[in-house]
Amino acid sequence: MIQIKGLTYFYPGQERPALQDIDLQIPSGQFCGVVGPNGAGKSTFCYALTGFVPHFFRGALQGEVKLGQISIADANLGKLAGEVGLVFQNPFNQISGARFTVREEIAFGLENLGLPRKIIERRVDETIDLIGLGELAERSPFALSGGQQQRVAIASVLAMQPKLLVLDEPTSQLDPQSTQDVFRILDKLAGRVGTTVVLVEQKLEWLAAFADRVIVLSHGHVSLDGQPQKILSDEKMEKFGIGQTQYSLAAAAAKKKKLVPKSRDFPITLKQAIEFFK
Amino acid sequence: MRGSTLFVPGQTVIHHLHPVTKLVITFLCLVLAGTLPSLPWLLTCFVVLLLPLAAIGRILRPFLLRSFAVIAPFVISLSVIQGFFTPGQTPLFHLGSFIFTFEGWLAGLTVAARILLALGGALLLMLSTRPDRLMLALTERGMPGSLAYVVLTAIQIFPRFQERAQVIQEAQQARGLEIHVNIFRRLGLLVPLMGPLVLSSIMDTEERAMALEARAFSRPGRKTSLLLLEDSVWQRIARWTIMVAALGLIVLSFWLKFAR
Amino acid sequence: MNDFRKEFTTFSVALIAVAIAINIGAGQIPRSVGLPLYLDSIGTVLVGVLVGPWAGALTGFLANTVWTVTGLFPQAIAWAGVAAIIGALAGAFGKAGWMKDWWRAGLAGLITGVVAAILSAPIAAYVFGGVTGNAGTDAIVAAWRAAGLDALFSNVAQGTMSDPLDKLVTYLIVWAVLMALPQRLKARFSGESVPAQKRSTPKKK
Repeated sequence: MIQIKGLTYFYPGQERPALQDIDLQIPSGQFCGVVGPNGAGKSTFCYALTGFVPHFFRGALQGEVKLGQISIADANLGKLAGEVGLVFQNPFNQISGARFTVREEIAFGLENLGLPRKIIERRVDETIDLIGLGELAERSPFALSGGQQQRVAIASVLAMQPKLLVLDEPTSQLDPQSTQDVFRILDKLAGRVGTTVVLVEQKLEWLAAFADRVIVLSHGHVSLDGQPQKILSDEKMEKFGIGQTQYSLAAAAAKKKKLVPKSRDFPITLKQAIEFFK
Repeated sequence: MRGSTLFVPGQTVIHHLHPVTKLVITFLCLVLAGTLPSLPWLLTCFVVLLLPLAAIGRILRPFLLRSFAVIAPFVISLSVIQGFFTPGQTPLFHLGSFIFTFEGWLAGLTVAARILLALGGALLLMLSTRPDRLMLALTERGMPGSLAYVVLTAIQIFPRFQERAQVIQEAQQARGLEIHVNIFRRLGLLVPLMGPLVLSSIMDTEERAMALEARAFSRPGRKTSLLLLEDSVWQRIARWTIMVAALGLIVLSFWLKFAR
Repeated sequence: MNDFRKEFTTFSVALIAVAIAINIGAGQIPRSVGLPLYLDSIGTVLVGVLVGPWAGALTGFLANTVWTVTGLFPQAIAWAGVAAIIGALAGAFGKAGWMKDWWRAGLAGLITGVVAAILSAPIAAYVFGGVTGNAGTDAIVAAWRAAGLDALFSNVAQGTMSDPLDKLVTYLIVWAVLMALPQRLKARFSGESVPAQKRSTPKKK
């Protein structure tokens, strides 16, 4: 259970806060999507959940972020690493560089955690199966494509079995096929018990398919917060410069042209769209 | 690996030797290179000690090729400079007022042989040992993990920096270099060429460090290892014996030098 | 000694690795502009100036180790100590605030170059029999020997012909990079070494 109270954060030397007065609770096991226009503070929010704000970036943090019993502000980044995991956009920068095969790369974090060899071997094998990296396991992480590297990065963090997994636009630098591969992994995670997932994404259709809940950030505030169905079909999204899923847009046009009864709910996924347009 | 190390994969006895055993052999070669008195001794050691080990390790060919590549420029430079400028009695030929002597040449070749033996020992180590295994052996003996990280990561990421530099180079060549451009202008060109590369690398480093933190890199406490290094009693005995012999050689050579 | 521990954060360790890669990678660019420079210490000086003398020294030392271990320049390890001193010097100049003006940065480069030449020469002279193994530099050394200098001074002479210029340009490039460093990154490094600047703060996501 993640508790955020009055979270306000200033990067060093900045007068405007990147995050303002955020109050949130994220129940354990929830798959939470985060959207917002550029500059809204989405990345900063990710960093606040995982301790990089304030420990890595310094700056001024007010309010409280608690992960279960752990207060992020009081914790130590090194010790937090087993509890939280962060995946970000650039695949190449997430390959540690200190290991020569994918298998060893995935084991790297577990070695740092000081786990016994047998456990490391087991977890690495399980993670390789889960993410589908079997064919790549003995190859060098540097001989992989961006999409493959990103899957290795996710695997490397997942193997540490964090209670909270945060992904900051993990597919924005990937080609469509790799994007699909990553979302397939997230699909598996969505069903998993125990891992809370926070996903920042611009590809709203995907969020709609997995998320239990969507939070809209704008100018460092939480602007909207609720079920994906409501939020993503909400016309107010335009105001935040986000836009809606392509299905909602098509549906809006259809409603305008009176092709479809007004009462029908806006679709946000392909399945719903098919129903809508029947 | 992307061929950015000397390591030649294999399953031979030499490959399976513990990295520190091979380090000790490298150290022995270094000591021999420094203490053996003359060219015949040095060459004999190289042939009798290193070549058989390389052969057992099935790396004889790369070993010879690399040794040659390393030593050839030294042989040339040393022959020329010591041949002409180290005093000797037997002139072989002259160039203007400079006399090339046999003794000078011999002195030059002797230095080259010392370099050959010393670097040969290091080459044997590098060709038969994967760098991460070498680093693991050292961290098990107390070397900080960050050093191991720096060496291994630098080895793996530098090709990408070379590629980026290559792109910059080609763009520059496409723009064409005016041959009569002032040298100051050329120096000035360096900043917009190299600046962005360096700057973006610093910014990427922030993400890189974050990824490391996410992998518990700065976690206090003991770290474990997936890799298991093979060792044996015999190797341990061999290592101590060789170290004692090497140190004995050092003492002996100092004593011989100063007891005259 | 507290400074020693302070210098080795996760970020600076990652920076050292990247700096070594810069040393190796960026060296080819000057030649594409037709300049006979190596610029293979840019990373070392960068770390020294940004992080501190201990980190700079370690960068230099490990950079030479990597040159050897990769087989790119096997004899490099012999000069690892000199490389460490270059890094430490960069740290000293950084802490002394010399990187705030381009001309003091350039002067720091010249001084570093001279020191490097003087310290490298004995290694060439006494370990490698008076040569470096590089055809170009050895030709120059031979010329100085022909002019009557002994092994040591020929290497010093050759060194002072190239090192000061090389380090001068290196320091100027590092200075330019520091000038362009975004405010947020500057906040990571100590106040004295990095030149202060009024910049508009960049927007964050």
